[in-house]
Amino acid sequence: MVKNLTAKNLAIKVFICLAVLAVVMCLCAMVGTQKVSLEKVFAGPGEEAGQAIDYEIFVGVRLPRVILAALVGAALACAGVVLQAILRNPLADPYILGISSGAGLGVITAFLFGATWGFFWGGAIAVFAFTGASLTVWLVWCIGRFTGKSQVTNLLLAGVVVNAFFSAVIMFLTSIANSEQLRSTIYWLMGNITEKDWLVLWVSAGCILAGIIGLFNICHKLNILTFGQEEAKALGVDAAKTRLVAFGFAAFITAIAVSLSGLIGFVGLVIPHGVRLVFGPDHRQLLPLSAIIGSIFLVIADTLARTIVAPAQLPVGVITAIVGGPFFLVLLAKYSRKVSWLK
Amino acid sequence: MSGIIEVENLSFGYTPEETILKALSFEVMPGTFVGIAGPNGAGKTTLLNLLCGLLTPKAGSIEIDTAHIESYSIRKLAQKVSVVRHEFVPVFDFTVRECVSMARTPYLGTFGFEGKDDKKFVNDALAITDTARFAHRPLAQLSGGERQRVFIARALAQNTAILLLDEPTSFLDLKHQVGIYDLLKTAQLEKGKTIVAVTHDINLTIQYADEVLLLGADSSYQHGRAKDVFSLDQIEKVFGVRTFAGKVGGENFFLPLGKFAKDSRQITSKLDGGQQE
Repeated sequence: MVKNLTAKNLAIKVFICLAVLAVVMCLCAMVGTQKVSLEKVFAGPGEEAGQAIDYEIFVGVRLPRVILAALVGAALACAGVVLQAILRNPLADPYILGISSGAGLGVITAFLFGATWGFFWGGAIAVFAFTGASLTVWLVWCIGRFTGKSQVTNLLLAGVVVNAFFSAVIMFLTSIANSEQLRSTIYWLMGNITEKDWLVLWVSAGCILAGIIGLFNICHKLNILTFGQEEAKALGVDAAKTRLVAFGFAAFITAIAVSLSGLIGFVGLVIPHGVRLVFGPDHRQLLPLSAIIGSIFLVIADTLARTIVAPAQLPVGVITAIVGGPFFLVLLAKYSRKVSWLK
Repeated sequence: MSGIIEVENLSFGYTPEETILKALSFEVMPGTFVGIAGPNGAGKTTLLNLLCGLLTPKAGSIEIDTAHIESYSIRKLAQKVSVVRHEFVPVFDFTVRECVSMARTPYLGTFGFEGKDDKKFVNDALAITDTARFAHRPLAQLSGGERQRVFIARALAQNTAILLLDEPTSFLDLKHQVGIYDLLKTAQLEKGKTIVAVTHDINLTIQYADEVLLLGADSSYQHGRAKDVFSLDQIEKVFGVRTFAGKVGGENFFLPLGKFAKDSRQITSKLDGGQQE
């Protein structure tokens, strides 16, 4: 006898995944070029600065970075879940559809207006990123409608073009911009997680959590929207309103993620697919679990990125693309053969 | 007693110039089975989409359960009217139970988790449509007939007084066609549902429907008891095809005859104006 998904059942799964996330975050914060002993970390900060080196590395450097990776992972995975549902396309992902580059373009534009990294400008950067992401979502949606829903690949091609176009504009803008910031911008474009101060972290965490909760609220409607607009209306769901809310929140969390850490690809593709394979397609479950598992994935990926070529560091986007690229091709082959799925 | 669906002077066209439905008026009593028949392009599916609020009439009014259709919110209307369209396979691998459970959406609160009552409606719908035995299977793994039963189960779980169906049997074999109609008739007789089905199958409609709305390509229409509306004259005129009419027991049956149909010349038809040899 199969059971319906209940709130209790879901809460248990979420709790278990959160526990795993906590363990992974702790372990990853331990790993690095400098060995850190937990004992010394728990001993707390010394009375004088510079005494408790282990504590300072763990709390001041590693922990913020691990938390940042977790936040970005959750945001991108959720954005992927929502885009796949609304566009009714299992290959949708904020990076592949060019929404991340749209947000990135917003960030670069903010820089041209004189913004710098840091808390003071953070809000302005996020607003620019959100504007860029929203416009791109709208653009991709229009292209998707225009080309029709019969082909899985049409929307992806549109995304590729949007992506290439925005990347070119970004490259153009960075090359005419102040050369001092060029190196950091290029790293950022490839998806780079760096240490941020705690205030930025907490504010971003609040925004991303709010976005995910907002999306969770419409998950049962997303389930029905995957059946199409007419079906949604027959089942009492206002498709246009739900779509607007979903796109708005998805663009919002993507924008926050991009302004924190640049263009990190494929998290929104790989994670929802994995979770769907194991737990089924019900979005009420898919969204929260994808968020947590996306966090776990990116925390591990970032740990790899900063350790495998130590003492140098890779942008984490390199790791996710190396994992996600082949995965994407496999899915593309699979779904292209099933075009008739998408009526 | 007034009708559960009342259509008054309804007109519709997809462009300002075009008219598909013109001055259409009819009434559907609660608990009746109505078939909507007519040639392609006569506006059968359009009418169905008007009745479920997907399209807005150009002129005239539609009342559902004594209230104007536009006075309902999307959610409230989904508590009155459920719709079954051509069966199709969704993008993601939802199981039968998940799909049927979605019917409860118009009744759910924030975050959308089903309660005890919701589960009861879902289980009842799975039982009555005989889909409970494959409730755990993904929709993609079912045959067309099975999938159509699942969508009917979903409409039943939605617990609406009115069920609208768009060609529920179009891709099914004989056995499954009859199976679907039996299922609908059961829902009508046992649960008192009002059923409105768009159909191409005149003979099944005669057997199962109480009333028929026959739409012509020229925006004309007939509405009445199935026996009265489906006469040989009427069918030849509306569908524009030579037809053989026969009787089995008390029921009339109609078979279309094409130009190359074997032995078709033995049967005379009014369409030929009596020039048949």
